[in-house]
Amino acid sequence: MTFQVPCPNCGPRPVEEFTTTGEVRERPVESPSRRDLSHYIYFRRNARGVQTEWWYHRFGCELWFLADRDTHDNRVLETRLPTSSRGEW
Amino acid sequence: MVSRLRAREDERIDRGRPVTFTFDGTAVRGFEGDTFGSAMYAEGRRVFSRSFKYHRPRGLVCCAGQCANCMATVDGRPNVRLCVEPIREGADVNGQNVLGSVDRDFLSAVDRFAGPFTPPGFYYKTFIRPRRLWPLYEKLLRNAAGLGKLNPEATREGRFEKEHRSVDVLVVGGGSEGLQAAIEAAQAGSSVALVDDGPEPGGALLLTESGDEPARALANKAREVGVELLCPARAVGVYEGNLVPIEYDNVLIRMRATEIVVAAGVVEQPLVFPGNDLVGVMLPGAASRLVRFWSIKPGERAVVITADDSGARAVETLKAAGVRVAATVDLRATMPETIVASGKKGRVTGVSIDGDSVRCDLVVASGSPQPAHALLSHAGARVDYDAGRGVFVPVEVPDGIRAVGGAAGDVGQPGLPRPSFGGSGSKAKEFVCICEDQTTKDLRYAHAEGYDSIELSKRYTTVTMGPCQGRLCHLNSVRLYAETSGTDESLIGTTTARPPWSPVSLEVLAGRPHEPARRTSMHDRHKKLGATMMWTGEWRRPYAYGDPAAEVRGVHEAVGIIDVSTLGKILVSGRDAATFLERIYPNRFGDMASGRIRYGVLTSDAGRITDDGTIARLADDTFYVTTTSTGAGAVVEWFEWWNAIWGYELDVVNVTGSLAAINVAGPDARALMERLVDIPVDADSFRYLDARQGHVAGVPSLLLRIGFVGELGYEIHFPSVQGEFLLDALVTEGADFGAVPFGLESQRVLRLEKAHILVGQDTDSESNLLEASMPWILKLDKGDFVGRWSAEQVKARGLETRLVGFRLKTDDLPVEGGQIVGDGQPVGRITSVRRSEAADAIIGLAWVPADKAVEGASFEARVDGELIPAEVTLEPFYDPDGERLRS
Amino acid sequence: MKDIFRKRRMWRAPTRLKDSYDAVVIGGGSHGLATAYYLAEHHGMTDVCVLEKSYIGSGASGRNTTIIRSNYRTPEGARFYKRSVELYEQLSQELDFNLMFSQIGHLTLAHSDRAMITMAERAEVNQLFGIESRLIYPDDVKDLCPEIDVSSDVTWPILGALYHEPGGIIRHDAVVWAYARAADRLGAEIHQNTEVTGIGVSNGRVTGVQTNRGSIECDTVVNCTAGWSTTLADMVSVDLPIWTSILQAFVTEPVKPFLDVVIVSSQMHVYLSQTDRGEFLIGAEVEPYSTYSNRGTLPFLESSARHVLELFPQLSGCKVLRQWTGICDMSPDYSPIMGMTEVEGFLVDCGWGTYGFKAAPIVGVTLAELVATRKTPDLIEPFKLERFYADRPVSELAAAAVSH
Repeated sequence: MTFQVPCPNCGPRPVEEFTTTGEVRERPVESPSRRDLSHYIYFRRNARGVQTEWWYHRFGCELWFLADRDTHDNRVLETRLPTSSRGEW
Repeated sequence: MVSRLRAREDERIDRGRPVTFTFDGTAVRGFEGDTFGSAMYAEGRRVFSRSFKYHRPRGLVCCAGQCANCMATVDGRPNVRLCVEPIREGADVNGQNVLGSVDRDFLSAVDRFAGPFTPPGFYYKTFIRPRRLWPLYEKLLRNAAGLGKLNPEATREGRFEKEHRSVDVLVVGGGSEGLQAAIEAAQAGSSVALVDDGPEPGGALLLTESGDEPARALANKAREVGVELLCPARAVGVYEGNLVPIEYDNVLIRMRATEIVVAAGVVEQPLVFPGNDLVGVMLPGAASRLVRFWSIKPGERAVVITADDSGARAVETLKAAGVRVAATVDLRATMPETIVASGKKGRVTGVSIDGDSVRCDLVVASGSPQPAHALLSHAGARVDYDAGRGVFVPVEVPDGIRAVGGAAGDVGQPGLPRPSFGGSGSKAKEFVCICEDQTTKDLRYAHAEGYDSIELSKRYTTVTMGPCQGRLCHLNSVRLYAETSGTDESLIGTTTARPPWSPVSLEVLAGRPHEPARRTSMHDRHKKLGATMMWTGEWRRPYAYGDPAAEVRGVHEAVGIIDVSTLGKILVSGRDAATFLERIYPNRFGDMASGRIRYGVLTSDAGRITDDGTIARLADDTFYVTTTSTGAGAVVEWFEWWNAIWGYELDVVNVTGSLAAINVAGPDARALMERLVDIPVDADSFRYLDARQGHVAGVPSLLLRIGFVGELGYEIHFPSVQGEFLLDALVTEGADFGAVPFGLESQRVLRLEKAHILVGQDTDSESNLLEASMPWILKLDKGDFVGRWSAEQVKARGLETRLVGFRLKTDDLPVEGGQIVGDGQPVGRITSVRRSEAADAIIGLAWVPADKAVEGASFEARVDGELIPAEVTLEPFYDPDGERLRS
Repeated sequence: MKDIFRKRRMWRAPTRLKDSYDAVVIGGGSHGLATAYYLAEHHGMTDVCVLEKSYIGSGASGRNTTIIRSNYRTPEGARFYKRSVELYEQLSQELDFNLMFSQIGHLTLAHSDRAMITMAERAEVNQLFGIESRLIYPDDVKDLCPEIDVSSDVTWPILGALYHEPGGIIRHDAVVWAYARAADRLGAEIHQNTEVTGIGVSNGRVTGVQTNRGSIECDTVVNCTAGWSTTLADMVSVDLPIWTSILQAFVTEPVKPFLDVVIVSSQMHVYLSQTDRGEFLIGAEVEPYSTYSNRGTLPFLESSARHVLELFPQLSGCKVLRQWTGICDMSPDYSPIMGMTEVEGFLVDCGWGTYGFKAAPIVGVTLAELVATRKTPDLIEPFKLERFYADRPVSELAAAAVSH
């Protein structure tokens, strides 16, 4: 992994400075069925192409952000800050 | 016989500085500037190695460090390419992969007798039965394979460094096109570096009879306009993000370039004809290098057969060196049906071209020059076969990379040599792959067997898999395959060029031998106190200072002191801090008063336990969170991640490194603290699970009254820089109470006595709160929190397994990891086990089937093949009511 | 022996696809070819084709580090891989092709207390299933591998190891070729350069397969495409809990025999063996992000080199000859996913992560049985896709701390 990730704060930096939790998944609201919950926990779209992922600038500014990355060639097309969605609580 | 020519101004050798080394025990004299190969050649040596499979004598072919023909062992280090390895005084050079010497190798019988028995892949078809003999056969095969021999006593030597750099433009290859491209880029204002593998840039320019002057002029110009010349240096490959590692002396430069210009030129290709591996058959560049670099006369009488201008250039150079050119064939003008070289004792003595024999001791031969596209391929360029010129050329070069000159496919209009000049009827071997000893016959055989693409052939015959990695054989094997199958080369395919472009040693890649380790600010004190250290994650921690059992007694009977600085420490502060913690932890924090502490366990959304620690509320909007020793970073990331989603108003600050922590525990802990603390520590003023701020020995501290070891205890968190001072103060004052420093081992026993879990040891990636017997942590009567729904699901399905304490009915302490067996099947496992003097038993924690999770239930654990009876204990083994803790 | 004088095609090169087959296997790797072979050999099903978009063995089967072992952590895994190793032991004779299976032994080093617990646990589970596997200590490690550095003044001293005697290395391409030849000779068709572009489904049942070389009717499709599994499953709208990443390996220039045991260090994320050709074959961990890009990385070479030299300083001067990558189908619990899906006739064989090659024979046997009988064999019952909807993972994670 030697591609570069454009951190919204720091600009393009080597990918070794970052970690990722993978593709963004939609967390079910309301008490989900076992099947829906399992789908959220285990299943992936695993796109061959552009997918939106969570990235974290671990050895840098420690910012979580969203990145559109093409898994076909690892190019990061766009990064941006998330808009918060705290839901009802 | 010494074949040095008259001294020339621009030769690479310094005749005033002789250098002596030995080859197979015989002294060889060369000069500074020689390579081992050139010095040996100058002294008349022609045979440098024996071939991989047939043990045929082999001589210099490329003189450019590409093939395996001059590999030898230098000072115990195998597989050194003598043709490019600079000469060193006193070096001990030895031939390899021979029985005897390279001149007289008893294994060469293989060449005469074994041929018919060893077609490609013969080992797949033989030695199948009987099965038990295979290991024996295999030993023979293995001993026959391999090249040099590693020195089993070798150690790491030398010092290797890494450099991280970036430039606007990186040019790989210092020939005229590369230098020009570098100059232009620098003149346009870019920062430019140029890599070349020679001692000075110039590339093919240096091989012409016009001498070094044109190359030198270009190089000087490049320097003047600010190009950084890195030579001799080698570009290892092109990686994602335009990262090019460059081997430069003992430094691996990790160079990132906005633009990479590949000017690596061409790779001369051998012609395929019977006897083409005889000693004395070489590529034009090799002959020119011998003459131009080291002033060596490569032979007496030469035949030159080439497909492009390299032949004419070679003729000019050879003549200038006094070599008689007996015949010249330009394949652009005439295309012979057959070319056959003959030899004596493995050395070429003549060539027959369409039946006309010419006597010679040197054959300079090459086909169409292959663009050196490997670096472009690494970057993702496609490579297509150019049928008109008989070479692969790069197409669709990706952004950020550019090819110029020969590497780009600029190779003129070479003649198209036959894929094989053997004609029909010739019995002599004609080699397609000299590294692996693969002949035209071998490849045709493989094709007939159905290995009909070059990728299958490569794997079956091993063609292109040797030390040259296809540089000198890929093109020829594809062309031979196309001819054999009657299709065109594009259907045969091409193998993918993979890094490294130039072989790079492990020591260079490894760099300095170090692994990061974290130490607490009290590290040196621990060592002075006699601690043995151990790893916990990335931390170094004291295992024990002496006898762990004595340390445990000290804690139970007096007071113990332990460095817990490795705990993760996180400040969560802000208006929404309480709401945030309520939502990320399964238990409750909103109702906790300032100055109080609660235990907390983190779970994933799948309900699996990920970390644990304590949470102290320092103020309405400020919480102090501790984590496991290995978990700090992950917990900070976890907090930040969820808050990136939720967007609460709060700050998460990791203070793990800035604060140290010491836990003081034992019945005398209060008495010791009273001597050092400036706040009241009596049982009413400072209750169990209270958090207070004060000074300990004058050091501003956060004091947490928690007791993870089962005795009255205070955890002191304070600035790291005061670590040694405070530890000293506690040890000194504590002496009156018999205070003992204790390490991880005794802590493990003390925790286990209280049946406290160790996350990551007693839990694994699948453990949930309910089955880990911590139902009281789960507050399902609050709103949504991370892991809530999974916890509900577990509750609904019912518990299947439980983490419980147990006593073993044995006196021998077993290793951890024993399996709990039911009906001969593993149904659970022991995660922790220790001998406890306080409990007077061997105690532990284990995952057992849920129906066994009742007091007194018995089960059997299999440890090292033996079944050991055990009994379930649901209460802590020591002070079950926690009276000592709360005292 | 007589075979070496006889040039005989290994497998036919059929020029066109038939209009229909009883079963279509997608993926010409060790799994797909083994499945085709056992379908014919065990169940007499020969109207079967294997579709391979490139050449056979071009994927993970030809890119793995050739290690065979059965010392898994879970009972389900141990039982399954044990059978696989047993089949591998007889395979050269069964297929009459020397697969060069060398049971030289497999050492998983432990450098921490915690790793020792994991090794002890695996040893116990393994022994319960009759798998030769035991915990050993530094002196034993030194006996088995005199070249290794067991001193305590290194960064990660060796505290012990899990020793698995039947483990070893095999010639991976030979496994592919031998299964291909055997399947072909029994009647199965192998179509290389044939890429599946669509899978027909009607009323929840598979009806056929579209390829770049024409369409086929069939009611059974077996997806043996490892890292590409998701792209095939997408064609029939079956969701998978898979993420795709790359695993890397490299070889050094060959040297004379030096190491005759497989060495794995989870702590240092590295494993190595010496091939019959004399090269050191070294691998590491999957990349921590999903990708279908087959480009190798520099940090992999650097960290592997650093770690190998910690264990074997003698290799300092060994040169890296070639590095490569393979695409892996990572499952959440590091156990495979095999069997039927909601779409009738669409069978999956994925989630192999970094262990697929070791399972080829038993995968072939069990999948063939499933295809032929439509009943899930006991050995693969725990590996059904449905387990993830039921939140019943088969967690091989502890053993998977490193990939081999």
